[in-house]
Amino acid sequence: MEVKIFKLSDKYIRFEIDGITPSQANALRRTLINDIPKLAIENVTFHHGEIRDSEGNVYDSSLPLFDEMVAHRLGLIPLKTDLSMNFRDQCSCGGKGCSLCTVTYSINKLGPSTVLSSDLQAVSHPDLVPVDGEIPIVKLGAKQAILITAEAILGTAKEHAKWQVTSGVSYKYHREFHVSKKDFEDWQKLKEACPKSVMGETETEIVFTDDFGCNDLNVLFESDGVNIVEDDSRFIFQFETDGSLTAKETLLYALNRLKDRWDMLVESLSE
Amino acid sequence: MIIPVRCFSCGRVIASDYGRYIKRVNEIKAEGREPSPEEIEKIFDDLGIERYCCRRMIVSHVDLINEIMPFS
Repeated sequence: MEVKIFKLSDKYIRFEIDGITPSQANALRRTLINDIPKLAIENVTFHHGEIRDSEGNVYDSSLPLFDEMVAHRLGLIPLKTDLSMNFRDQCSCGGKGCSLCTVTYSINKLGPSTVLSSDLQAVSHPDLVPVDGEIPIVKLGAKQAILITAEAILGTAKEHAKWQVTSGVSYKYHREFHVSKKDFEDWQKLKEACPKSVMGETETEIVFTDDFGCNDLNVLFESDGVNIVEDDSRFIFQFETDGSLTAKETLLYALNRLKDRWDMLVESLSE
Repeated sequence: MIIPVRCFSCGRVIASDYGRYIKRVNEIKAEGREPSPEEIEKIFDDLGIERYCCRRMIVSHVDLINEIMPFS
């Protein structure tokens, strides 16, 4: 088994695993989608009634959006996640909520303005801030203000999409296009457009691969003189994260999580 | 209403990219013309929005939050 990383950044990874079966590849894909824990806001408490600023001006707490909608939007904001925290239902506090399993936030803003995710202040854990500060949550008109507190807990995407770390998780077989130079005359153009994708060349034939994602190669699927060969033991994976965890952390967690789940099965059988 | 935080289909955060998209489109409109499909494609590529599920979230969005503000 061999792993090659084609592209790696904080939020994105593209890599190849050689020597696994389609079922193993799919197990990894499903783990990446719905079994990675992350922080997301779960409980929101709204202050209703008058809100006063330091000069004694009175603001109204009613918003242009329903409170439920604001709470939902808050839940979807990606927060920096510390994986050493506990799930609330498995925490030593017994599910009441303590600093080991709960992060508290607050927003206090006066209108007219747009409330952004950067207005979300981390109260209990100052380093677990929103990843992206430019997400608009709600707009406030003149004489409107928002005053809320919120609690974030760990969860997985099995329960709700707000705990989904990854998006666009996909894999495909390693694919080779054997192009006959005689029957497909534009091969030179493709060679110039996707120099990285050329795997080999002889006098009569040139071989391309779409492992590196060059869109110009798409014409080869419906052209004459092209023989497409796929290898069902070499998988090209790619996914991106929402920033709450890095792509590397996410992948390592997913692989360990798969192993743990099989270990749990073995343990329960040996009892 | 207001731009959804995440793409409905894949879950990518798109709300923060909407502001950047509108800014780029307005720069083109300031020249007195509508952006061409190729220019819009370029904006999406620059913002790193690859999949068409995320692109439709932004391209088809009508921002009505300012219209309902007086009625809250």
